[in-house]
Amino acid sequence: MNSVLVVMRREYLQRVRNRWFILGTIALPVFMIAVFAIPIFLEARGERAERRIAVVDETGRLAAAVVERLEGSFDVDAVPYTDGVYEALQSRVDEGEIAGFLVLDEGTLREGRATYQGDGRPGTVRRLRLQQAVTEAVVAHRLAESGADVDVAALLAGGDIDWVNLSEEEPEGAERAVGLVTGFVGSFFLYMILLLYGVQVMRSVLEEKTTRIVEVIISAVRPWQLMLGKIVGVGAVGLTQVGIWALMAVLVASFGLPAVIAARPEMAQLENVAEYLPGLAALGAFLVFFVLGFFLYSALYAAVAAMCSTEEEAQQTQVPVTMLLVVPIIVLSMVMESPHSTFAVVMSLVPFFSPVLMFPRMLAGAPLWQVGLSFVLMAGTVVAVAWVAGRIYRVGILMQGKRPTLPELVRWVREA
Amino acid sequence: MELHGVTKRFGSHTAVEDLDLRIPRGSIYGLLGPNGSGKTTTIRMIMSILLPDEGSVALFGGEPDDRARKRVGYLPEERGVYKKMKVLEYLEFMGEIRAIPRREARARGERWLERLGLADWSQKKIEDLSKGMQQKVQFIATILHEPELLILDEPFSGLDPINQDVLEQIVREFHERGTTILFSTHLMAHAESLCEYVCLISKARKVLDGNLRELKRAERRDVVALEFEGDDAWVRGPEVDGAERDGDTLLVHLREGADEQALLRRALEAGVRLRRFDLVEPSLHEIFVRHAGADAAGDAGLPTDFQPLGGVA
Repeated sequence: MNSVLVVMRREYLQRVRNRWFILGTIALPVFMIAVFAIPIFLEARGERAERRIAVVDETGRLAAAVVERLEGSFDVDAVPYTDGVYEALQSRVDEGEIAGFLVLDEGTLREGRATYQGDGRPGTVRRLRLQQAVTEAVVAHRLAESGADVDVAALLAGGDIDWVNLSEEEPEGAERAVGLVTGFVGSFFLYMILLLYGVQVMRSVLEEKTTRIVEVIISAVRPWQLMLGKIVGVGAVGLTQVGIWALMAVLVASFGLPAVIAARPEMAQLENVAEYLPGLAALGAFLVFFVLGFFLYSALYAAVAAMCSTEEEAQQTQVPVTMLLVVPIIVLSMVMESPHSTFAVVMSLVPFFSPVLMFPRMLAGAPLWQVGLSFVLMAGTVVAVAWVAGRIYRVGILMQGKRPTLPELVRWVREA
Repeated sequence: MELHGVTKRFGSHTAVEDLDLRIPRGSIYGLLGPNGSGKTTTIRMIMSILLPDEGSVALFGGEPDDRARKRVGYLPEERGVYKKMKVLEYLEFMGEIRAIPRREARARGERWLERLGLADWSQKKIEDLSKGMQQKVQFIATILHEPELLILDEPFSGLDPINQDVLEQIVREFHERGTTILFSTHLMAHAESLCEYVCLISKARKVLDGNLRELKRAERRDVVALEFEGDDAWVRGPEVDGAERDGDTLLVHLREGADEQALLRRALEAGVRLRRFDLVEPSLHEIFVRHAGADAAGDAGLPTDFQPLGGVA
């Protein structure tokens, strides 16, 4: 078998079989699902508990109108007004059978005021619904009293505003919001796995160097074969992980969510989560950004490790490389604030920043030629960086002792 | 394998200076010298881990390129292994990078583990093994591809005497199969029992090299070991410088250029019953000290045997 493949196979299997890899691969999606699903689930549960209320009408003239307007949002039990009705309702609340009860009285007719007594205050949306129902019912009652025959709902309609941005060309409304969220999440993912797997390459090179096992390997495998095998092997682990995550996402979206919604209709809101899953084009672009970015950064991390002889030295030396990854994360929110500004365009075209910045810009509607250009620039940089890093690696892995100075590094690159 | 005028400097320090070596095919060759004399540096230049500042290295009569290096089994002084790998997996990998099919590498690995008493450990992670066991695993990895040239840098250090013997035995087996073996050590005793050829180096320079037996013969001089019954007064004579007793043996030091046959004649004349009359070959250590000086020998082994005269004379 080809030496590169042998090295790659070792790197890949050693990592994929590691129990931390397996744990991390499963834990992250579970965590993500939990982040999305738990609030929705809790809300749905709260919803059920808050849904049942009672309405007591002391006037006998408002209940019908109010109940009609609350339908769909509440399960309403219209209770006739009798002596001791409040004590009875109180005990129903205590037993948890109803969340509370709305009292309509003479004051409601006069001033539009009503009282709600319950186990805690209902949520904001529910309070608005209650207020709206009471207001509309009272207004309708007063209009009817005065002899006018009008559709109160039509009378009160209005108040929605469409927000149009004239200065920038971008997708509208919901689509844009979804793109932004997916872009941010994807961007963080890219940052995370580039850092994670880049550092793994560094560790791996360093292990071979500090144990001097590399001196034996190098007698059978050429340095470039060892470096390439290592990078591709570790990269394949990253792809495997991303692949598993993507597969899980697709499965959850196409089977998991519909099943949950079918079983628990009150959790229909989960439907929205699926919108945030990236489409095929976004997924493809993500992979290209990952692969190119990974070659770029892992080559740098490999060179860093080759320069150092101890873990501590490597920790210091890797800082500039890691900074290259951190800078785009720092400016990410600025770029996404106005993804089409000159600043955003220039920053996202810098090959070292492209994975973290161009990917979310693409989802925010950046022109395709810019995405393509960033691919080309990154590929070119990969070739240049691999050439330099390969030379540093070749000299460095067999060197022990002091870390090279910059002029020495230049000589390594020239003479290797 | 040959070195020509090889020199390596680290800054102002010269690690190896103008070294010529020729290792005959099929021989066991010992590279001897105290710590810091340049043995490891020499070996690393042979493996192209370091490039010589001057001079040239030839492997199998040609360039020391990848192809040539794949025919070499190299055990470095540092005991480096992939600690997280399982023992057998590691051996498979080390075989595979030398182009041995995985299945074959596995079979050979199992055989050697069995032989070295590690069969029960083949599925354990290397980090769970003791240092000595790790060293054995690393040794197996070195010989797994049945190299034509074995280069072992201090192979015996860190092993207990029993395992040193096992290792020595395996080295001899490879030698019988025609493998060329180069090993370095600062323990002269091992070299003495194992080597056909030696090269003594001290302070970056070669002191002496050649066939061990011939060297010893050439270096042999001036000491006769005697065992006899009777009085020892006859020993005294013009050619005798002094003598010392070592149990039943009397070590007689002759004056330089003296003929040991005169001593033998006197023994016959005196009518003593001679059980032993032996021209003592110097130990490697003595030869080393003679050529490089006691200072250079440093911690290179036993204390020198030569002492001021005492005893009978």
